[in-house]
Amino acid sequence: MEKIHSDTERDDYKPLKKFVASPARPPKRETHGVIGTIRKRFFNSIGNSLLTCIALAVLFYLGKWIVNWAVIDAVFVADTRRQCFDTSPDGACWAGVISWFNGLIYGRFPVQEQWRVNLGVVIGIVWLLPLLSKRIPLRGAILLSWVALFPFVGAYLFLGGRFGQELGLFHGIMTCAAFGYLLLIYLNLIKALIGSKTIAVAGLHLLFVPFLEKRLSRRVVAISSMLVWGGLSAIAALFLSSFDLPLVPIERWGGLFLTFIIAGFSITMAIPVGVILALGRRSKLRVIHWLSLGVIEIVRSVPLITVLFMAVTLLPIFMPSDVEFNKLSQVLVAVCIFAGAYMAENIRGGLQAIPKGQFEAATTLGFGYWQTMFLIVLPQALRMMIPNIMTSFISLLKDTTLVSIIGLFDIMLMARNIANDKDWVGMHTEPLVLIAILFFVLCFSMSQYSLNLEKRIKVDR
Amino acid sequence: MTSSNPNVQLQPNKAIEISSLNKWYGDHHVLRDVTLDIYEGEIMVICGPSGSGKSTLIRSLNHLEEYQDGHVAIFGQPLARDRRSDRLIHNTMGMVFQSFNLFPHLTVLQNCTLGLTWLKKMPDQAAEKFALTLLDRVGIAHLASRYPGQISGGQQQRVAISRSLAMEPKIMLFDEPTSALDPEMVKEVLDVMMDLSKTGMTMVCVTHEMQFARQVADRVVFMADGEIVEVGPPEQVLVNPEWDRTKDFLQHVL
Repeated sequence: MEKIHSDTERDDYKPLKKFVASPARPPKRETHGVIGTIRKRFFNSIGNSLLTCIALAVLFYLGKWIVNWAVIDAVFVADTRRQCFDTSPDGACWAGVISWFNGLIYGRFPVQEQWRVNLGVVIGIVWLLPLLSKRIPLRGAILLSWVALFPFVGAYLFLGGRFGQELGLFHGIMTCAAFGYLLLIYLNLIKALIGSKTIAVAGLHLLFVPFLEKRLSRRVVAISSMLVWGGLSAIAALFLSSFDLPLVPIERWGGLFLTFIIAGFSITMAIPVGVILALGRRSKLRVIHWLSLGVIEIVRSVPLITVLFMAVTLLPIFMPSDVEFNKLSQVLVAVCIFAGAYMAENIRGGLQAIPKGQFEAATTLGFGYWQTMFLIVLPQALRMMIPNIMTSFISLLKDTTLVSIIGLFDIMLMARNIANDKDWVGMHTEPLVLIAILFFVLCFSMSQYSLNLEKRIKVDR
Repeated sequence: MTSSNPNVQLQPNKAIEISSLNKWYGDHHVLRDVTLDIYEGEIMVICGPSGSGKSTLIRSLNHLEEYQDGHVAIFGQPLARDRRSDRLIHNTMGMVFQSFNLFPHLTVLQNCTLGLTWLKKMPDQAAEKFALTLLDRVGIAHLASRYPGQISGGQQQRVAISRSLAMEPKIMLFDEPTSALDPEMVKEVLDVMMDLSKTGMTMVCVTHEMQFARQVADRVVFMADGEIVEVGPPEQVLVNPEWDRTKDFLQHVL
């Protein structure tokens, strides 16, 4: 005490008072809790109470009508639409949708070959499963391999035909490589789960890398992992060439399956096409700049239907007569360019938001243009643009239903076909309601996923 | 008071030679016949009022800015606008910015290893080990797994310094490294720079920290209106300036 006094050299020194906060009190009951909130939000005045009551009444009658139509009065078992009407004239006739359900999902894909579609979807999902765990390194390589190689697997399974004949030798080789790579990923994962504490390597690295890593150079590791990949692909080739899948021509593809193919392909291709166009538009090279600008602005100024019609009618005219296109690949090319042009503007927005200092820092460290773009700028730009990119994806998924107009049997055209079936003549409402629900579930889960992604990235920062 | 570094007299190798450098922004003449030699191992502090061209000068050295007239040579090799010169610049010079410019999507450690693995082709483990020793030297190895957004400005600037040092430059350029920092964080960055100055690194610093200039600098350059007004040991320029312009500036800063 004495010392402090002399240090401060003040005569009027007093010891400090100790501050104690006053005890916390609960909030007033009228404004808090469930009842308080309801009272505050919905019944805070006579007018508002009246509005609340009216809204509740409307909701009740609407809900009752919907439940009556869709569930209580609905018919689930019947052979024709007439039977539905005889049983219950006011309810939905789900029996028709149920009997056409297979068609809505697979289109006119032969029933005995539909397992191939299911298997393709399962392989696609299994390939992407490792992306869910944050502990697995090189997830980018897995995603990239999926984008680059899975389409070959899909085409092989869905189209079929004699191996390496209908689809050509190159396609056969790529299919084997794809299966080989998938095996490589999973052998790595299994080895890592059994062997070491952490999952060491996936992707292009080798099964036995962790044992030799210290003594081997990177080049040796890369070459040996290529060899193992080649070996696994050869095993896949031996297996695949031992039997033939019956050919299912593209005209028979349809339903939700076809919708998924078009939407999935355009969503995965939209990003690379968009990146190329966006970088092109920002390029200092005049020719590339004007070319990208032209593609983006023209495509964005034309409705998708027009692009689709042009792809189907004009593309074959410009191509040499011996090159034969099927409608699906024309549509895929058209939708890709369309989606890419929109994506390019999203990505360009993200690129513009990257501060100049990031480029300067990258340059002074010695990174060149492409390294700066792919390591530093694009990862940030894409993250920043997740909400916009996801919005584009959702509208892309919905836009794919337009292909029914040019005669591809996607889920929309299949639904309209039900009304032409002699047993279910004139049944329009029920299939469309089903499709509405289906698309709502798909789009809503996409938007929820994007919110989740945004949150996860914010945690990272 | 430190006198000018005796090493400079013993090894008068020129690290950077700037001869009659001129730059215009449109009609605005921002660098006017700047001529300056910076020797190996020298600590050069550039000061002056804002708009005097100090940042432009330092950014011209590593080609972040273009200049219309004059020459720059590094270790005797004249620079041109070509790939060879760019490679020479990137191999010899590192830079620390006023706004840190860390890569926000990468952790502190990844910020430092990115150049090592992609440009120096170092194996991952070796790169991480090297980066960690550098982070340890600036006292933030414990923050290696954080993201830049999660650490303070002073810590970010220290990361930026170790990121530059990871590329093993011979010359370090500092462009107002403490100007964007809260006052209590300035010292931790200056301490790191002082430690660095003892390792024989050639340093060119644009700064308003006169105390730092007095303690560490071998020579101080005072610039005004795009011209070098005076160059000399800190006690000469900062204590007994020859020109009224310098004196006027020092009265405002000190």
